[in-house]
Amino acid sequence: MTREETSKYTDLLPDGRARQFVFEMDAKSVITRPSPGHKLTTHGYYAVSGLAWSGRGRIRRVDVSADGGHTWREARLTGPVRDRALTRFEADWHWDGGPAVLQSRAVDETGYVQPTREALVAVRGVNSYYHYNGIQSWRVGADGELRNA
Amino acid sequence: MLKRSICASAFGVTVFYAAHACAAGYGIGTPVTESALAAWNIDVAPNGHGLPAGSGDVAHGKDVFAAKCAMCHGAQGQGGIGDTLVGGRGTLASAKPLKTIGSYWPYATTLFDYIRRAMPYNAPESLSADDIYAVSAYLLYLNGVVPQSTRLDAKTLPQVKMPNRNGFVPDPRPGTL
Repeated sequence: MTREETSKYTDLLPDGRARQFVFEMDAKSVITRPSPGHKLTTHGYYAVSGLAWSGRGRIRRVDVSADGGHTWREARLTGPVRDRALTRFEADWHWDGGPAVLQSRAVDETGYVQPTREALVAVRGVNSYYHYNGIQSWRVGADGELRNA
Repeated sequence: MLKRSICASAFGVTVFYAAHACAAGYGIGTPVTESALAAWNIDVAPNGHGLPAGSGDVAHGKDVFAAKCAMCHGAQGQGGIGDTLVGGRGTLASAKPLKTIGSYWPYATTLFDYIRRAMPYNAPESLSADDIYAVSAYLLYLNGVVPQSTRLDAKTLPQVKMPNRNGFVPDPRPGTL
């Protein structure tokens, strides 16, 4: 057994035990535009875009939220949708100039829904990061700056 | 015929390329020879399968470690720029778990596999089998897993009982987080 199998394909749980082996990455997604480093300079329309993928098949759907997960809208899958491959998504968003939290939530063809960070941490703790796939939040400030929330 | 027999008998990484080349019939590449394959076929199983002849003890391992490893991993396997190799027992359930050979690894044979294929970082696969057995023994000694008098070889390395051997559970996914 190699070191990678020992240390990377095992995930440590809060009770000190570790899952062995952990290979598949469950459905995951991230908004790449806008994202930290970007600054929104005008109010109004933005095409929010990003990437989704799953180690268990094709991406079926991606939802996007601008209010931290309270409400969701289905995004368009804009490129090829292939088995276990990066899949482009895009969603329309109108920034009214106020604080916002952008999130994306992927669903794969098995029906698996990308979990919130809180749900994932509740089960796996904070030291199981190699297969971490929690919903990522980008906080938009009133100044238009994006930060990792 | 030669190509077909290679396709049917190749295993591991090579089967992917061999099967593609054969199935598609691109007419490129050359069949891999057994001797060429052997240079890559160096994995060591938990039961010791794949371990070569040779042996090494803690005392020699200390010298090899000082000469080849300590500059990155620290004199005692701690505090260097490289991964911490020693300590961490009892920390896995804490807020800051320290995963080391002694605190985390389930099998001692992984030491041989990894040191041989990847260490020293600037010269992988440069250590002799005797040196690798010796460094493995030294690191297990520093972790309090084996006594100072230990000498390891292909038979005894797989028999080392690692402290966290029973610290693993199967992956319950899919169906749960």
